[in-house]
Amino acid sequence: MRDTSNPLSARKSVLTSAVSSVTPLGQLLRNVSDNLPHNYSRRRALQLLMGSACTCCASVHANQLAYDLDVTEIARGTWAIHGRTEYFTLQNGGNIVNVSFIEVPDGVVVIDTGPSRRYGEALLHLIEKTVPGKPILRVYNTHHHPDHIFGNQVFERGSLAAPQQVIDNIIAEADGFSDNLYRLIGDWMRGTTVVAPGVALESDFEEVGGRKFSLFYLSGHTSSDLAIRDDETGVLFTGDLAFYNRAPTTPSADIDGWLESLKTLASLDRELILPGHGLRDERGGSLEQTADYINWLEESLSEAASLGFTMNEAMAQPIPDRFTSLDEVQTEYERSVVHLYLGLEDNLLPAVTVD
Amino acid sequence: MMSRILLQAIVTVIALTLSYALAADTRTLPEDPLNSVMWDNLAGRFFPGEVVIDQRVKVVGPHDAEDQMQVPITVDATALDNVVEIVALADLNPIPHILTLHPTRAQAFIGFRVKLEQASPIRVGVKTSDGVWHVNGIYVTAAGGGCTAPALAHGIDNWYQTLGETRALFRRETENSARLSMRMRHPMDTGLAPGIPVFYMNTVEVTSPAGDELARVELFEPISENPTLTLKPLVEDKLDELLVYARDTEANEFNFTLPVTETIKN
Ligand SMILES: [Zn+2]
Repeated sequence: MRDTSNPLSARKSVLTSAVSSVTPLGQLLRNVSDNLPHNYSRRRALQLLMGSACTCCASVHANQLAYDLDVTEIARGTWAIHGRTEYFTLQNGGNIVNVSFIEVPDGVVVIDTGPSRRYGEALLHLIEKTVPGKPILRVYNTHHHPDHIFGNQVFERGSLAAPQQVIDNIIAEADGFSDNLYRLIGDWMRGTTVVAPGVALESDFEEVGGRKFSLFYLSGHTSSDLAIRDDETGVLFTGDLAFYNRAPTTPSADIDGWLESLKTLASLDRELILPGHGLRDERGGSLEQTADYINWLEESLSEAASLGFTMNEAMAQPIPDRFTSLDEVQTEYERSVVHLYLGLEDNLLPAVTVD
Repeated sequence: MMSRILLQAIVTVIALTLSYALAADTRTLPEDPLNSVMWDNLAGRFFPGEVVIDQRVKVVGPHDAEDQMQVPITVDATALDNVVEIVALADLNPIPHILTLHPTRAQAFIGFRVKLEQASPIRVGVKTSDGVWHVNGIYVTAAGGGCTAPALAHGIDNWYQTLGETRALFRRETENSARLSMRMRHPMDTGLAPGIPVFYMNTVEVTSPAGDELARVELFEPISENPTLTLKPLVEDKLDELLVYARDTEANEFNFTLPVTETIKN
């Protein structure tokens, strides 16, 4: 499982290939369409460029989008970039996710890669600044959601690792996510392509650069969620199985499986939790809060569906006081109704005999 | 395939020309609060006679379609009396007409889900017995491709065997009104996805056991796969069940009976 390539040279080549400051439109189009998934036409690429807001001031905006990544050392040799606890917007460029990196004796381990190539490049800069000269030995993807994987392309494919099911999910769904992200964050996505990890994980732990990492193969937020524990520092990286003071998201969720996974996580020895979204958590509050919220979601939506309420009526239900302080809760709740309601109706509305 | 599209286009052009000719000189339309380029055209085709913009027509839906194949919409025009017809349109869909409800003996209320090809106004016209169309709507943003994407059912080999499978509920909510929620398996093919001919549920009729019509819904191509409708038929004390009849464009017919459940909950 050790990667023998030279990540330093890869890092350098990526950095120098960043889009230069003055670029004619035709060249921009070529850059965009060459890097887009294959189902994009040149025309679509043009629409994307024209559609990204404020073409009148394009001379500045196109090249001044820059992620302001704020890094915190959450444990010895362990840095977290806490994304904003928001939804994707043109303003935040998708910097809404927690991405982390760890200095191990012989190199660096990265957990998740952010929402775009541009983010991945900023992440590489930050790693180089924080841990100068150390090779990136391993990059984990906790699951296939776009905010966690679209920085993949700046890393060596042989260093990227995830469970096979995560890799399969990326191959099946990432193009669709990419379309949607172009719509939501526009130019921040420029040049972003889907790269699936080259390494399929299956062991319960990995020794990377002189550090042991325990791997937990869970599910529920999606059909495959990887949690990772640094056995030296005891930091548990939960991916999106845990959210903290930010409403959980459910586009690929199986609530019962998710609750099971949260029980497993709660039973693990650890010193600190880094959730997928929201602040680091010393006492396990993120696990309890996430379980409480998704359990309420399932119960209240089950009741609404079994009474024959429309999705719109379900969306208008009040959110309990204990959740109203969660960031984005109203929006996420309404999105969750769309994600979960059809399945609940299929189970809870009584079957009738049809002639 | 091409000739059908061409024919459709010709028919549409003729219909548009006629409706413009009819609409243009006989009335002045109120300004469209949704500012849609399709307003004059659609009002001409679907809302003949007097048109007023009326906030009493409540159209509820999301600002942004999370799933453009299943955009939930609820229409509540119960603040109006003597409603005879409710027409729902998606202005910018290739086929705008979503459904028409005749609430013969039902509240002026319907819940449904629609496929959106792109961001679009969802426009609802409610006709009262004096012939006036009370119009209101919302704007829903969406990504592209909801109408031209194939139904999920076509990814399943034996989807035809489950055609018409139904889950439904008929629940008394007040002394004289009950809620009917029904969900039927049907691909609702628009004919716009490559290689898949048009095939959709086009009629749902709700009647009392005595044969009185309570509500009738004409459905069209934009209704989402596995059509899910919520209606509020008026029920007297003695009504303890109702009959539902549905038919699709291939003349498949589906009949079922639903007993009323006596839970009053709002
Ligand atoms: Zn996620």
